[in-house]
Amino acid sequence: MSAFEGCPGSSMQDFRSKNGEVKEDTGRRESHLRQWPIQLHLVSPEAPYYQKADVLLSADCVAYTVGDFHKDYLKGKSVAIACPKLDEGQDEYVEKIKSLIDDAKINTLTVMIMQVPCCGGLVAMAEQALHSAKRKVPVKSIVVSLQGDILSEDWVT
Amino acid sequence: MEEYLKKGIKDIITKFPKVADILNEYNIGCVPCNVGSCLLKDIVEIHNLGEDEEAALMAKIGNVIYPGRGIKIPKVQRKAKSKQIQYSPPIKKLVDEHVLIKAWLALIPEVIENIDLKSRAGRQLILGGIDFIRSYADKFHHAKEEDILFKYFDPNLDIVKTMLEDHTTARSRARALLDALEKGDERGVVEHLSGYKELLSEHIKKEDEILYPWLDRNLSMTQVGELYEKFDKADRAIGEEVPKRCEKFVEWAEGKITKKKNSRKEAVK
Repeated sequence: MSAFEGCPGSSMQDFRSKNGEVKEDTGRRESHLRQWPIQLHLVSPEAPYYQKADVLLSADCVAYTVGDFHKDYLKGKSVAIACPKLDEGQDEYVEKIKSLIDDAKINTLTVMIMQVPCCGGLVAMAEQALHSAKRKVPVKSIVVSLQGDILSEDWVT
Repeated sequence: MEEYLKKGIKDIITKFPKVADILNEYNIGCVPCNVGSCLLKDIVEIHNLGEDEEAALMAKIGNVIYPGRGIKIPKVQRKAKSKQIQYSPPIKKLVDEHVLIKAWLALIPEVIENIDLKSRAGRQLILGGIDFIRSYADKFHHAKEEDILFKYFDPNLDIVKTMLEDHTTARSRARALLDALEKGDERGVVEHLSGYKELLSEHIKKEDEILYPWLDRNLSMTQVGELYEKFDKADRAIGEEVPKRCEKFVEWAEGKITKKKNSRKEAVK
């Protein structure tokens, strides 16, 4: 089956290596998460860790696909996660991102999404929030492949 | 061969003049540079050539330095893969400001052709141009680079030093232009106006195509956000009057020149 037969967001794919080899990771990795909660419905833009912060808005699946997610993308950032395909109440998401920009006066917003088309909704929400916000901040969109490679990094205007 | 990667480009060109032609072939404008102390490895990194282009360039340089020995120069480490230029929002702001400056520079040849320091309108046009150079190109635009952007980088970087030297030369040109205007010295006005055009055209090209993309590749996300806010604050401090006045001047000058061109065409008919 090709990677994009049917709905690319839910089509089955098997990434196991054919000969059953598993690469061993050694050593313990530190978590770079510096807050709780993280789900976009649950977080408050008033939380101290969002004030003037560099914020990472990540699609739920991203952290499972990018091997070095903590080290390369979460480090130094405050986070919020969401699924633009399955989550309800997405109007609230736009308002909350807008509040992060206007009220928490965040420094930057990085939106990380999967390459599947439905994930683009998260970038669209960030764009909508940015356009309706009084402040403007740099917003970057990063698209991740199903196997965790970075496919693109673009500035959202 | 590693030792040459760490050598200043001027030294390499002096010792191996053929390297100048190779750099020109790849549109790397080190030859006329008056500083020339950038290291070969930095030049390759700063210009962010494609992998094949970099390999070919380095092979050619290797061939000049060690003819017939098939020396391979090690690949230069860089922070990003080459791709189409995409500026971060604060750098994009500077690139957008260049558009108005370039619009004024494009008018200069016509301004020179129609120069008339005897008439009030003719002097007003030059005076308006000097005000544009000082208020918009310098205080509004170059000040953001000097007071904010360049502070994020090592002041000893040759590429930054070269840009600062250009700013200083541009200021001297504007001073000399005003002196010539006040003395009614038409030749002086023409000389400094065309000198300014030549300097700034090259300066903007270097910034848009080389310096800004390189700075962007070396800025962290946090720094991009800081710059965006600092630029915004600097613009608010200057206020809306200066950029609006300068935009209006360019529009007015464009209108004046178009009118002159049209009336010339009519006269030919």
